Amino acid sequence: MNRKITAIAALTLGLASAAVYAAKPADIIAARQANFKVIGKSFKGIMDEMRKPAPDMAMIKASANALAGGSSKVSGYFPKGSGPEAGAKTHALPAIWAKNADFKKSAANLVAASKKMQLAANSNNIDTVKAAFPALGGTCKGCHDQFKAKD
Amino acid sequence: MASDSRRAKLWDLPVRLIHWSFVVLLPLLWWTAENGEMDLHMTLGLVMLGLVVFRVLWGLVGSSTARFASFVRGPITVISYLRGLSKSESETSAGHNPAGGWSVVLLLGLLAVDVGLGLIAQNVDGVTGSLNYLVSYDQAEQATELHELGFNILLAVIVLHIAAILFYTFVKKDRLVPPMITGSKDLPTAVTTPVMAPAWRILPCLLIAAALTWWVSIGAPTSLEQFNAPPPVDASEYM
Repeated sequence: MNRKITAIAALTLGLASAAVYAAKPADIIAARQANFKVIGKSFKGIMDEMRKPAPDMAMIKASANALAGGSSKVSGYFPKGSGPEAGAKTHALPAIWAKNADFKKSAANLVAASKKMQLAANSNNIDTVKAAFPALGGTCKGCHDQFKAKD
Repeated sequence: MASDSRRAKLWDLPVRLIHWSFVVLLPLLWWTAENGEMDLHMTLGLVMLGLVVFRVLWGLVGSSTARFASFVRGPITVISYLRGLSKSESETSAGHNPAGGWSVVLLLGLLAVDVGLGLIAQNVDGVTGSLNYLVSYDQAEQATELHELGFNILLAVIVLHIAAILFYTFVKKDRLVPPMITGSKDLPTAVTTPVMAPAWRILPCLLIAAALTWWVSIGAPTSLEQFNAPPPVDASEYM
């Protein structure tokens, strides 16, 4: 009995929090765009450092950490209802939810590539960073082509 | 017209080649941007940079009809020219008229600005212009938006340019397109014959334009240390 009550309570709480979450898709969209901006900035941070005569490994590490952090949050920022139907301006395509397994896989590719970049940055070897970079960049386009509307 | 006019060289080869290159390049630049062919877009953008630089140099040392000094006129001249447009007077000088001269300056200026913005722009896939590393992420985002806006402004001016050509062709009975292809035009005898620049001048202008474009394409290094630094990330590696 007690267990049942707990389960019902948990379910209610879960539904309630989901409702709160779904109530403000505009906020979710704003937060996810801010997160993508963090990813973009970190990506550029690594790229700009890589082409300097003497790359600053500390800067690369900081960017790689921010990038890995942002990447791990991506798939969670796409609850149902936060697509074009939300009314707020978004480039998220309905395909994200129509082909959700593919989308999740694309997001996981980013997470994996960003973790590799984090490891590379921590190796303190700029050549390892450079080797990890193309695969990381590829995950951006790989996902955008299918799931992001063009401007 | 046969008795009081003669055939004369109006536009030299560089002017014509550059003009028609713009006509070919702009749609290609638009298409590559729309279809995500960013590698090609950037290469073509650099070609555009080289052409604009060459045209500016040619505007200083080229043939008389190519020179800014010969066709950039003061506002009073432009206004009185525009007022007299309705009259059917024959042309008094060869080359760009006072209004058209400013259209050249405007079009070239817009091209230059938009190429400049493109050099620091970035897209969502992390593809960047060769000078993007010199600016911050936010600056590059702004530049990217302005790059698109600049193209739209350019389009508007091109529409005006084409409208003017149609006006001259059908209302003023002055066909501007054939001379831009053949280079020659029947000019009234009263009009001074344009002075064509010697062909050798093309070479230094071409060399300077090519060198500058190459320097920009490798990220505009300002020291030997930077020059020897690793090349920019080739976007094609992950495209």
